[in-house]
Amino acid sequence: MSAFIQSNKAAAEGPSLIGRRRLLPRLRSHGGALWRRWRYPFTRRTPLLIETAYNPKTLAAEKEIVDKRPLYWIAGLLVLLVVPPVFGDNSFLSAATVFAIYAAINIVWMLMIGTAGIFSLATLAVVGAAAYTVSYISIHTGLPWWGMIAVSPLVGLLFGVLIAIPAIRLEGFYYALLTVGIADLCREFVLQTQALGAASYGLYGADTYVPKGISERGGLLLSFYAAFVVMLAALALYRMVNGQRLGLLLRTAPEGQEAFAAALGINYRAARIQVFLISSAALGAIGGFYATYFKGASPALFTMDSLLLLLAMIVIGGIGTAEGAVVGTLIVVLFDRVFIGLGPVRLIIIAMIMFGTVLFLRRGLFGIAPQFRAWRDKRRSERRALRTGEGDDIMPEDATQIADKQAIYTQRFDKQLREELKKLVTDELIAEHRRTDGGRRSDALERILTFFRRAEVAGKYAILAEKPFAAYRIVALSGKRGMPPRLVDDQVFATQEEAQHGVFLKRIRDLLDS
Amino acid sequence: MHIDFYYLAVTTVTLASIYGLLAVGISIIWSSLGMINMAHGFTFAVSGYGAWLVAQNISTNGVVVLAGGVLTGMLSGAVIGGLAFVPLYDKPNFAVRSLIATLAIALFGSQCLLWAFGPRVKALPPIFPTGGFKFGTASVSYDRLGAIVCSIVLLLAMLAWMKRSRRGLEIRAMMQNPEGAALVGVGLRSTAIAVMMVTGGLAGLAAVLLSRTYFVSPFAGAIPLVKGIIVALAGGLGSLAGALIAAALLGLVEALTAVGLGGRFVLITQFLVIIIILLIRPRGIAGMLERTRE
Repeated sequence: MSAFIQSNKAAAEGPSLIGRRRLLPRLRSHGGALWRRWRYPFTRRTPLLIETAYNPKTLAAEKEIVDKRPLYWIAGLLVLLVVPPVFGDNSFLSAATVFAIYAAINIVWMLMIGTAGIFSLATLAVVGAAAYTVSYISIHTGLPWWGMIAVSPLVGLLFGVLIAIPAIRLEGFYYALLTVGIADLCREFVLQTQALGAASYGLYGADTYVPKGISERGGLLLSFYAAFVVMLAALALYRMVNGQRLGLLLRTAPEGQEAFAAALGINYRAARIQVFLISSAALGAIGGFYATYFKGASPALFTMDSLLLLLAMIVIGGIGTAEGAVVGTLIVVLFDRVFIGLGPVRLIIIAMIMFGTVLFLRRGLFGIAPQFRAWRDKRRSERRALRTGEGDDIMPEDATQIADKQAIYTQRFDKQLREELKKLVTDELIAEHRRTDGGRRSDALERILTFFRRAEVAGKYAILAEKPFAAYRIVALSGKRGMPPRLVDDQVFATQEEAQHGVFLKRIRDLLDS
Repeated sequence: MHIDFYYLAVTTVTLASIYGLLAVGISIIWSSLGMINMAHGFTFAVSGYGAWLVAQNISTNGVVVLAGGVLTGMLSGAVIGGLAFVPLYDKPNFAVRSLIATLAIALFGSQCLLWAFGPRVKALPPIFPTGGFKFGTASVSYDRLGAIVCSIVLLLAMLAWMKRSRRGLEIRAMMQNPEGAALVGVGLRSTAIAVMMVTGGLAGLAAVLLSRTYFVSPFAGAIPLVKGIIVALAGGLGSLAGALIAAALLGLVEALTAVGLGGRFVLITQFLVIIIILLIRPRGIAGMLERTRE
């Protein structure tokens, strides 16, 4: 059904002459009009970016999916939704639940770091503060689980306001390091406060959304689906904030270019704080969910190690994208929870992946493709700089811009022929040319002479008889009607045979120089 | 409420000298290398193990154990510099990437320590003789006095070295302008490794001196790291004078809080002080004293 036609979006160097081009499938049937009528609710966005064109040969309507990421998202999320409940045992299922919760946290964190550009490391501190608060309320007032989840965004927002105050004045690393300290402060506070379960190492006993009489497997399944819904909600929030007005405003004000945004009249500080507060409220909500899932909260949320693992997740995937957050979380949780039999080695492996990522990759796993393309372009331009001479092969990049493909082949053939003929040129051959004027010649000499005779007229050498039988000179034809030939040098030959040999020597020199 | 002045003074000086050792290291690394060394805590932990191994296998003499800790710290610093600074310093986005690289090294290192030595804490032999003397109304143990004297002597020695030696000149050149320093022939890599070794040695010293408070364990470095970072932050990253003033100030705050309110509130009051300092001066105390690295 789908015809593959070549598109010249990326001409890469490959074995073929004019370069390997990326093949984009062109789908047949009706054009993109059907898709353009559909919209995501409350937005003007179409579900898929589709370009329509008519095939120049068959005149059939064809469409090309320009941005396939929505398809990848749907496929990936379907796999994540189906694989754990169907193929996983109980421990795998609980690992998948933890994955979904951490993925939700990381997606919201990405809003802070990527969209708002506030490098806050107190993410888990917000989650933990909300989890502790709602657990405490639930234990002491009997607040049901839905009440916990309803209260938790308020707690997150309150905490967000508190840690956003320093962000107004501080920038970059000062703020990041301060938030590390804030997380440590929370840990210390929780560990030393009796009411928050200092002695029992954690505060447990809160209400949970898993009903009482349900089987173990059923409870795990319910937890997993609930956590998955939380992750989807986080993705929707990411989309709504990053993909709409706020995200657009903040994209004009990346770090170091705030002055430009301010000159455009964009209040980027207000937008940043707004995104930060929205994210804090969302983190609080996730904290509330966390508390209802674990029936409480533990001080482990505030430790440096949890922060490290969380950072490893977003660093491996690549800071600034939601897909990076999800895939990074998947990798880290896989090592941390599923390969639990490895012991401390699994954290060592995570650390090594993290280190390798920052050492070699600029923007994590999802930055590999652009980074590779940039590297390839650099290498290509270096090679092109080395290899561009007169009469050389046409480089693949230039080849795409020459309409007459025959010219490219001619030039290539010519180059190969010259390379071959160069090998035939010897002192004996030149002596033979002088000796055998008008007589029988060897095959090698004939081949070279045939090549010379075939040369185009412009620039071809000829003999000018200044004084017949006494003075001959070499000229080069202009190749244009009405334009006289030009003298090549001031050499004067006594006989025509000598002049012919002189022309031969010049041509041999040109051949060897090319 | 009666506040014992002598006790307050002794506690303040002790805390200030220890915080100074850690904060100065973090601050120098930031200003000369442009890197936040989150693996400083790992250097702290691994130096403790180095000193412990020396005490187990070679000698329990205080000086030898101290030397073992300092040497391990220097080695660890050099390794961190070689892994996180040398391959990354000319790459885009260096500041964030080196921060994450040092975090990865910290995670890797602490897990390796856990793997090799197990989770149980180790105790170092006493470095200074037991006993003490009276200072006013406060009693000062020799252990405490030794910690104060050692750290002050080493800090002063390092400051003198930075001021007078050729290497110190190179480091100061790198602090002011790394590109300019490279242009006039200062080897950035070798200077960076030297900086990492010196600061690693300071952290190793702190680890041995603090082994009474933070016993030798794989994760012993976390709390000193956080304290060192917040002190360096309050002082203004990159300023030695600022770090020392902040260390004294936060030591005083900690001592006052411990005497007046109780040990539980130490971190909270410290944080309040730091946040107030940073809200007034976003670049720390040194924001008033000198220009620091952006």
